[in-house]
Parts: sequence; C-alpha cells; structure tokens
Amino acid sequence: MNFKSDGAVMRRSIELNKISFSYNENQRLFESLSLVIYDGETTVILGRNGSGKTTLGKLIMGIIKPCKGNIVIFDEDSEKMNLGQKGQKIGYLFQNPSRQLFAATVYEELSFILELKGYEECMIEEQASKMMNLFQIEHLRGMSPFYLSGGEKQRLALAALLINNPGYLILDEPTTSLDPERKEILSKILKQYHDEGKGIMLITHDESFALTHAQRVIEIEGGMVTYDSKFET
Amino acid sequence: MIPNSKLDPRSKLSMVMSLSGMGVLINDIRIMIGILFITIIILKLLKVSILKILRKFKRILYMIVVLVIVQSIFFKGGNPIIAVGSVAIISDMGLQKAAAFALRIGIVIASASILTTSSYRDIVQGLVQWKMPYEIAFMVSVAIRFLPTFMEEFKDASVALQLRGVDFEKIPVKKKLTVYSYLFFPVVSNAILKAQELSIAMETRAFRAYPFRTSYLILKIKPLDYIIIAVSFFTAVAGITLYYT
Repeated sequence: MNFKSDGAVMRRSIELNKISFSYNENQRLFESLSLVIYDGETTVILGRNGSGKTTLGKLIMGIIKPCKGNIVIFDEDSEKMNLGQKGQKIGYLFQNPSRQLFAATVYEELSFILELKGYEECMIEEQASKMMNLFQIEHLRGMSPFYLSGGEKQRLALAALLINNPGYLILDEPTTSLDPERKEILSKILKQYHDEGKGIMLITHDESFALTHAQRVIEIEGGMVTYDSKFET
Repeated sequence: MIPNSKLDPRSKLSMVMSLSGMGVLINDIRIMIGILFITIIILKLLKVSILKILRKFKRILYMIVVLVIVQSIFFKGGNPIIAVGSVAIISDMGLQKAAAFALRIGIVIASASILTTSSYRDIVQGLVQWKMPYEIAFMVSVAIRFLPTFMEEFKDASVALQLRGVDFEKIPVKKKLTVYSYLFFPVVSNAILKAQELSIAMETRAFRAYPFRTSYLILKIKPLDYIIIAVSFFTAVAGITLYYT
C-alpha cells in the first residue's frame, strides 16, 4: 500500500500485471512486467531509445495488446474497456502530435469533443478560449492544424486532451518541439493539473524537465524496470 | 495450380482489367455472382488467402453494408417488401440494386488482389513494357505501394480519435457522419505531405533528368501468359458485348 505525505492511501490508477509483449517472435520486449502507477503522482519513465517507454504507454492505452498479463485502469480491467472509454479516463499525448489532430481549424479541434458531449455553445466557446489562452494559441484560432509548426501542434494536441478533463495524463515526449519559454508554460500547466490531485506519466528523454516534476522515477532497460524510486520535488 | 512466380505481371493485369471491367459494366446479378466466383477461383489458384483479404478490408465492410442499406432504402420503384403506409421503405428492385452494388465492390476488390502476388516493381515494368509512359507507370506503382500505408493510417487515425475520448458506439446517429469525416483529415493531410516529400526526393535523384531510361529488369512473356492475356481479353469483350446485345 502506498501513502501520501499526509498519511492518506494513494489510489492505484494503472496496474500492469505480469505483462509480456513482443513486436516479433524472436525478440521479447517485456517479459512478465508488473508495475503499479498511483494517482495524484507524477511518474517519469526514463530509458534509452528502444527500451520500451513508448510501448509501455501504448500498452496502457490499448493501442497494442500484450501477449500475456492484464492491465487495470482505475480498478477496471482494460480488456473490458474500449478505446473511447480509456480515452475518457486517460489523456494520451502521442510522440507525434500530428496523428491526433483531426479538425479543420484550431478552434474546432478543441470544440468538437465538447459538442459530442452535448455542451451548450456558450460553454464550448468559454472552455475553448480558456485553453487557447492557456497554451498561447489564440492567434491560430481559425487556422488549419495542418499548417501549424511542430511546437504549435504539440500545444494544440495537449490543449485538446486537457479540454476533455481526463483523470490521468500520459505524455509521450511532450517537450520535443517546445522552446524554453513554451516548456515553462507546459511546466506550469502540468503543475496546475497535478495540484488538482491528478496523476501524470511523463515518458521522456528530457531529464531536466522530467526531474522538475517527478515524484517517482522509473527507468526501463531491455524491457525490465531497472530503477524505481520516489523523488522529492 | 498456376505457377504464380512464373506468371508475367501483364497477364495478371489483363485478368484484373477483364474481371473488374465486366464487374463494373455488367449489371446482371447472376452473371456478377459468376464473375466473383471465377475471381475467387483465380485467387485460390494463385494461392492468395481470401481470409486475409477479408481481414484487410474488414473496416470498410461496415461502410459497404451501410451503403448497401442506403441504396436499398432510397431506391424508388419496384414492388414494396417493407412499407410504412403507402411509402415503400425497401423494394425488390432496391434490394437488387444494393446486391449489385455489393457484388461490384466485391469483384473490384477481389480482382485487384490478384496484383498482390507480384511485386510493385514488376507491375511497373509490365506497364512500361506495354508502352505506358514511365511517369504514369511510376505513379501507378506509388499508388499501389502507398495503399497499405493509407489503410494503416486510417486505422491509426481511428485509434487516435477514440483515444480522444470518442466512444464510436455511443455517438448519436446524426453526429456519426461528422465524426467519421474527422478520420479523413489526418489521412489526407499526411498523403499530401508524403506526396510533397516524395516528389522532392525524386527530383534530388534526377527523376526525368534523361529522356530515356534503361532498366536492369526485363520481363519475358511466355506462351502461358499469351494464353491468359488472350482469354482475359476475349472473355471481357464477349461477355460485355453479349450482355448489351
């Protein structure tokens, strides 16, 4: 059982139980990997290229399926959840954010998910404007996401995730295309999200960024957890 | 069994053109079933897994089913099978049209799968040796080469959209079309980007810099290929002519 600093029990957000996975028959990436990720905690996943960091995120989200073992998301067996249900619980930022932009304009990218949820027009406008301000993309409102720069796409993709108000965030290399100023903004947003009591998993190579947020650091090497430690920020 | 590896890609192209041409131009359900049956036999002889094709096109099967239903509902005329008051919802003619549509799509997809038994390089060479301009043959090859990639990207886009919290099963019917339209944006935009990058890469490798191209690969047509090409041509011409006279 894990406890917060005030003694309260931490809720398990993601549990991987004896997960085995391989991309091909000859090389097994994960062999009986077990891991518990807690809510309200920022967990950083570090590791070299090809160590399985991104694969771990994809396995949790159900983009790829494990050969053996099971994954539990907020006390629910992920096998019984479809991708849409997982997406409502966990916001997942792809390594390449272009893959998760769909709409014709930046505003529509933020608003369509709220429209589908049946929000009122004024509420949608308010929420979308708030997100655009937060991520400094207000001036791109009518532009097609197709023409945005890498950093702008990354900010838009993250804004589009947060507008859905997920209970947990998994961010795969969120700082790749960001300049120092935008990294600082992202830092503040993540801190704010964490202060709301929500958990974040940062999959990254950017150690300095990761360590400013980390409360737990997990290092993966050859499909094994080689380091797992709590961290004081 | 047809010795697949020894068949010239031009004979396969002839078979595809003949079968899909008849599938598109002939509108008789019984004949279309026959064409589909022959196509499946050819695929079996070429050792193409029908199950694999069905699995590949599983995602668009849903779209085909929806189109078939729409066709049968909106077709005016024929004797009503299901009617609300005096308004015919489904008629026998409507069902016939829908079945013809489904068969036509089936014939085109199945016959095109014959080409998967040749490498795309061989197919380009076949077209070039048929005196097709290299630029056009190359474009055809690029289209063939990128089709699986587009299918993959379509699948990725669908996964990414669902991970944004869109539960396809729970979307109201009237909003379903809007949501599905979102899937096309990343696929089309990526296709445009890929085309731009590919054209630049080709220019840097001196594509069209010389008026004539030579090739290390020269296809040699054999008697069996002549027979297949002739049979494909005459069957298509005879079938279409007999149908329209």
